[in-house]
Amino acid sequence: MNNPKEDSQLSNLGIRTHQIVKAGLPRRRAAETRFKAYGLICIVAGLGFLVLLFGNIISHAWSAIEQTYVALDVTFDESLLDPEGKHDSAVLAAADYPALLKKSMSALFPEVKDRQQKRSLNGILSKGASYELQRILVKDPSLLGKTERVWLPVDDDVDMLVKSQIDRSVDEGDRRLKDYQIAWIDKLMADGRLEKRFNRQFFTSGDSREPELAGIQGALMGSLFTLMVTAFLSLPIGIASAIYLEEFAPRNRWTDIIEVNINNLAAVPSIVFGLLGLAVFINFFGLPRSSPLVGGLVLTLMTLPVIIIAGRSALKSVPPSIREAALGIGASQMQTVFHHVLPLAMPGILTGAIIGMARALGESAPLLMIGMVAFIVDVPTGLMEPSTVLPVQIYLWADSSERGFVERTSAAILVLLAFLITMNGLAVYLRKRYERRW
Amino acid sequence: MQKSTLLLLLLLISAYAFHLGRKRARDIVLGKVKTLHSLPNYYGYYTALWSLLPALLLLILWLGFETPVINHMVMESLPDGSQALSADIKGLLINDIRNSMNAGGSDTKPELQAAVEFLRLLKIRSGWLLSFLAVALAFVGAYFARSRIHKEHRARNLVENTIMSFLLGSSLIAILTTVGIVLSVLFESIRFFDKIPLTDFLFGLQWSPQIAMRSDQVASSGAFGAVPLFTGTLLISSIALVVAVPIGLMSAIYLAEYASLKFRSVAKPLLEILAGIPTVVYGFFAALTVAPFIRSMGADFGLDVSSESALAAGLVMGIMIIPFVSSLSDDFINAVPQSLRDGAYALGATQSETIRQVVIPAALPGIVGGILLAASRAIGETMIVVMAAGLAANLTANPLEAVTTVTTQIVTLLVGDQEFDSPKTLAAFALGLVLFLATLALNILALHIVRKYREQYE
Amino acid sequence: MRHPVNIPTPASFSREHIQTVGDMFVENARIQCRNVDVFYGEKHAIQDVSLDIGRNEVIALIGPSGCGKSTFLRCLNRMNDTIPGCRISGEIKLDGLDIYANGLDVVPLRAQVGMVFQKPNPFPKSIFENVAYGPRIHGLAANKLELEEIVEKSLRRAGLWDEVKEYLHHPGTGLSGGQQQRLCIARTIAVSPEVILMDEPCSALDPIATAKIEQLIDDLREHYTIAIVTHSMQQAARVSQRTAYFHLGKVIEVGDTALIFTNPRHQLTEDYITGRFG
Repeated sequence: MNNPKEDSQLSNLGIRTHQIVKAGLPRRRAAETRFKAYGLICIVAGLGFLVLLFGNIISHAWSAIEQTYVALDVTFDESLLDPEGKHDSAVLAAADYPALLKKSMSALFPEVKDRQQKRSLNGILSKGASYELQRILVKDPSLLGKTERVWLPVDDDVDMLVKSQIDRSVDEGDRRLKDYQIAWIDKLMADGRLEKRFNRQFFTSGDSREPELAGIQGALMGSLFTLMVTAFLSLPIGIASAIYLEEFAPRNRWTDIIEVNINNLAAVPSIVFGLLGLAVFINFFGLPRSSPLVGGLVLTLMTLPVIIIAGRSALKSVPPSIREAALGIGASQMQTVFHHVLPLAMPGILTGAIIGMARALGESAPLLMIGMVAFIVDVPTGLMEPSTVLPVQIYLWADSSERGFVERTSAAILVLLAFLITMNGLAVYLRKRYERRW
Repeated sequence: MQKSTLLLLLLLISAYAFHLGRKRARDIVLGKVKTLHSLPNYYGYYTALWSLLPALLLLILWLGFETPVINHMVMESLPDGSQALSADIKGLLINDIRNSMNAGGSDTKPELQAAVEFLRLLKIRSGWLLSFLAVALAFVGAYFARSRIHKEHRARNLVENTIMSFLLGSSLIAILTTVGIVLSVLFESIRFFDKIPLTDFLFGLQWSPQIAMRSDQVASSGAFGAVPLFTGTLLISSIALVVAVPIGLMSAIYLAEYASLKFRSVAKPLLEILAGIPTVVYGFFAALTVAPFIRSMGADFGLDVSSESALAAGLVMGIMIIPFVSSLSDDFINAVPQSLRDGAYALGATQSETIRQVVIPAALPGIVGGILLAASRAIGETMIVVMAAGLAANLTANPLEAVTTVTTQIVTLLVGDQEFDSPKTLAAFALGLVLFLATLALNILALHIVRKYREQYE
Repeated sequence: MRHPVNIPTPASFSREHIQTVGDMFVENARIQCRNVDVFYGEKHAIQDVSLDIGRNEVIALIGPSGCGKSTFLRCLNRMNDTIPGCRISGEIKLDGLDIYANGLDVVPLRAQVGMVFQKPNPFPKSIFENVAYGPRIHGLAANKLELEEIVEKSLRRAGLWDEVKEYLHHPGTGLSGGQQQRLCIARTIAVSPEVILMDEPCSALDPIATAKIEQLIDDLREHYTIAIVTHSMQQAARVSQRTAYFHLGKVIEVGDTALIFTNPRHQLTEDYITGRFG
């Protein structure tokens, strides 16, 4: 049956094949190694960007932990502050504190006579220093007439110089501080009158034009109110919507349209939601601009698709046998869902919700549209008050030219990232802790 | 009364109504709960719903119409001369009155004094009237529901139907949102195209929306040719994709095919952090670090790089969308059945040959879908370009020059004070319409491809 | 790369040595397996299997599901390398060369030992590209003409040429199940292997397609050594010359197909072929 000639031909072919395959191997192995290396390089590049980004922000931010203060011997001169001797807090509050500061500064540098130089001498102090003085005296009126050593915040340029973020070797003309100002600062430093202290201001005050007075509390409260509205609306609506679509909706064209629509909404650019908010909530319903209420409404619409999609997949992962068991003992469909399916799906739903909230917390573009970019000094106390949120505050500060805002912007970013990491960490924890394999 | 206090009060009343209904149901059957149609709790819920829902509805309607009605009444109260004013001026006037009321009336113009007082009075009255009506309605509802309870009353079905309507209503909000987006953007766009012809907008090469204050100034009418914005958007998005697609795809391949389980479980979440970082952070990074770096690099090579170059914004945007490409590609590569890989291995293909010639072609539709989604994300990205790209509408393909994008212009046109009739403001909505349609097309195409692909392997 | 050296048996596992019944060894064998053990993680999937596969013979591996016959087959061209957590010890030689030797490249090995899988798995490419893929990656054809020649020859050998010659550039996934499986066989043949492993090649096919494949296997025997895993005893009887019966990871009995089916020597074999379990 076997033709010997063909057989030998065939085995020759086998040997030939083997030789060809062997000959090509080194080239193919090299290609394999190269390909694998490209993959690794790309991952390293991606992770490298991450490290670069975080490193960059942290390196800019760390100096914002501290703020430079100067020690001044202030005489709370009664004749200047309270000439009529009333000892009334209203009088004390309205007194001329800048004059007090000027006197103290001149006492430190008696040699400065020139008007212009005097002004720049006073410029060493922050514009907020006089308010600090006022606060001190109003709190303790017994200081009146006494001389106290008080620590007052310095101007951001001085702060930057002390933190060595202003390069002294630059030409005087290109520098924000003149040589004589630097000389004063060096003298203060040599006298031990300059000290870097923990920057409490940053966490306890609202926005300001002066970097040394600016803080994130206003923005934090704004974010908090906005997120409250978002959570309060998007959680129930999102979960209800997910339940309806997954458990009750008939499978027909309508639900198909809703599904496509939700998937699409999840990918619509956020700024478009801002346009919607502007046209509908502000112009049509007349809700107040810049308010956390409108911000929260816009973010709700943005977050809903995320929560619905996560909710649906969590509900889908509950096996049908659970539903059948409940229905089998005579529970209504509604009871089945609310007593059995929903509790089992809840960790998954919450994970999705937290991730949606984290995204809402970091969102800024749509909030620009509805006027949450206003310069707002006061810390908001309600849903209807004009306010801003942390990411928008970052955007505003990033736009300012003052050198002192760079470190504060970075610090604000770190605060924002800390919140986001906490939220995402919580989501991961929830998933790990309650994940169930059916 | 504060609205939140009122809400709390209504909730308390409905809690009372719950108790009322449940007790009533029990009393009717003399404690023999089994003879009731539904569990007593359902009668409680039924009563509570009757107490809460009408009052809530009233509250919402009231809040919706309070401002316009009060405004109208205040305007009516003004002296006759004011009635003839145009709508805009009226709006300003009302704003003035409101502001001075909020400010405590200290710096009110004397001629508005009466109106401010009237407004204050109306607001207070409105608040009390609302509180009274809502509370009354809550009680009426509760007692009405209580009176309807009897042994055969199908409370559970009624409660479940109400819940069902709530579920259904919730799922319609997504549709309403889309409709809202389309309508709000469309209407303003139509008003815009009344003033500026559609063809000028779509094909014009000149974009300078600033409208001069006086007619004798140059460019008094503004120019609304959006082509430079489109090209700018495309330029930056393309740079982003050039960065993100190779890095994202190769990372996904490495993670899915080569990486050990341990490496994968660390590297994948880390990469995905890139997608979770707020875009404003990327914008800051681009403007503060990347743009100056590219500028100085360019200077070293003797190139003149704009400080707001498209390259800087595109690069950083590319970094941002790496995880979009990589995680979707990773999903699709993993979805390629092992049997295909086995087939190639059994022929003696090396791993990279299998990946390049079998796995990637098989996963290609999904990967393309992922890239399209990433492109849609890049086109709609706002903060990075607002912070790092310029405002100058240059028509150029040179990545070292400054270009502007659709989203940047929307933000620029709408942030700050605005009048709602000027073409400048309306232009933002026209741009929004273009942006929405473009991303919608990309999304639907991408989702369609992805869905088709999923079906193929499921 | 996994090194199959001295893997200790898990302590919990007590090894009861079963002596394989029948003629495990043949003269002038193409593949020689000696004391092969396979572990999936902690699971001991193959226990101490020794078996020869002769030249130009069809050997059928039969046994109840989960008995390790597929696992054993996948050892023969090291397809188990792709399964994470799989360890192999023992010795497998192809033409006298240890295929698990340190540093041995699996690529030429798999070119020599082809494999056809349970479910037809054509690449999502055209019929032509499916068959041309192997020769292409190995550089077997110097030019397009030669490539076309190889493709035609392979398709002819797989008995598919007449059915698809008009549609060479249509996707391979568009063919019927049986055609797809023959396409996969043609794809395997195209790299001119010496051994073809078939893992239940007909289990996803209807009886007519199955008959065609069985006929094909018989024709291929002329040129190739074939090991086929099958769930069907009738199929084993129809296509093979020798049969090995696997049971719970061990080879119970090996011998001429005719003998095994008519006169099994081991009780387990008899129970299986008479349908008492399986």
